[in-house]
Amino acid sequence: MIVDVHGHVGPWFFSAADASAADNIRRMDAHGIDIQLVSAVEAVVYDPVSGNRRLADEIRTEPRLKGLAVVDPRELDVAAAELPGLLATGQFVGAKIHTDYARSPGGSPAMADALRLLARYGLPVLVHTWGEEIVGLAENVAAIPDARVIAAHMGGPDWRLAPEAAAVTDRLWFEPCYSVAEPGRVRWVLDRIGAERMLFGSDSTLIDPAVTLGAVRAAGLSADEERLVMWQNATTLFTLPAPRE
Amino acid sequence: MILDCDLLVGRDVTTSARLSPADLATTMAEAGIDGGAVGSLRALSFDPPSGNDEAHAAAPTCGARTVAGVDLRDPLGAEREIDRQRDAGVRIVRLAPARQGVPASAPGLRACARRATRAGMLLLVEGDVRLYGPPLAGLDAAVVFVDLHFYQLGDFVVLGRDEPGFHASTRLLGNPDGWETVLAELGAQRLVFGARTGWFEARSVLTRLDVAGLDADARELVTARNLLRLIGEDR
Repeated sequence: MIVDVHGHVGPWFFSAADASAADNIRRMDAHGIDIQLVSAVEAVVYDPVSGNRRLADEIRTEPRLKGLAVVDPRELDVAAAELPGLLATGQFVGAKIHTDYARSPGGSPAMADALRLLARYGLPVLVHTWGEEIVGLAENVAAIPDARVIAAHMGGPDWRLAPEAAAVTDRLWFEPCYSVAEPGRVRWVLDRIGAERMLFGSDSTLIDPAVTLGAVRAAGLSADEERLVMWQNATTLFTLPAPRE
Repeated sequence: MILDCDLLVGRDVTTSARLSPADLATTMAEAGIDGGAVGSLRALSFDPPSGNDEAHAAAPTCGARTVAGVDLRDPLGAEREIDRQRDAGVRIVRLAPARQGVPASAPGLRACARRATRAGMLLLVEGDVRLYGPPLAGLDAAVVFVDLHFYQLGDFVVLGRDEPGFHASTRLLGNPDGWETVLAELGAQRLVFGARTGWFEARSVLTRLDVAGLDADARELVTARNLLRLIGEDR
């Protein structure tokens, strides 16, 4: 079983392809991915209100796609107003924050406020991390007792900071997708943080799942690591159904 | 057969990582890469003549063709090195303006590209195609852009329509339709397998190859024959 905790439903601004939930499913089937957690591209790059609502419509008939509601830390009043309605659809299992588009670094006070709000709803949060902000994000998570956060991209080019961030709090997990995949990165981080702290994510449909699947396969996961990284950490964190025996 | 057009040995000063020819050969074997074209980071970062000697020595170890590196910070030296490598029978030159901090507007970039093209050499070009593609246009140059990211693919296609010698490397085309876009817009002859094995997660590129849906002819072109054609070795 494979659970992909980092997906998007398009379209992307630089490509006309892969624009609907059906396209996500097609890429999932090509790679054996069972469940994908998705946020709306529209919500990330333009407007969380219209994007999250559109996503709810888009995935209503696709039970293999679970929603991540995009929250902009600069508009928490908007998020607070929208979240009850979105959660009532039963299609959202977590939240997503993009630190760059929302101009809210991982260690910022605005991020702390957003994580506090989402913790009140019991929502795990996938947070885009790029560079040294991954450590600041960890410090924010540590200071908010019920926050549970996944560091998307493991800091991107600064992935070597992942162990330092992991040491700050045990409520921060790590997701390794990165279009510029340096060799040995997944194994290096895994050996330092443990398989309980990493979850598979692809960033599909921005990036084909082939990129991160290839990187994870190159890490040569043991059977236990495979189970934890590829699905069990995700089903536990997001309370998703485990595979049938 | 899979050939990687984007092989390098040496030390990367930005990461302190090192890769010897023997280690590269081992990594290639593990990944299922049969050969390709290998250059030297020493040539690109410090001293082209001794670095290119290193690349010559590495090539047999990796089953690869030699790639000559030049330093565009020293255009006159780069011209001399292109001539020296041409006389030594080298068919490929790597230009690394981004790595060397050389702007796209530098006259030496275009001068070296012209000189190598007139010598019948293939250019491997690092950096953003939107910056470094236009100054190489109009030279009738054969070029593989080895850092082409899918973010920049639309601009590559637009440029490539007027430049039949411009080719895309696969390494950073990791989105769902990057390979397919090159094939649809420019043809299978314009995509060259590159993974920078040993420095990049080659398995990611190989997994992308597995789902690219290439027919046998297109796969052969992308993984080997296009590179061989560009250096005059295709059958």
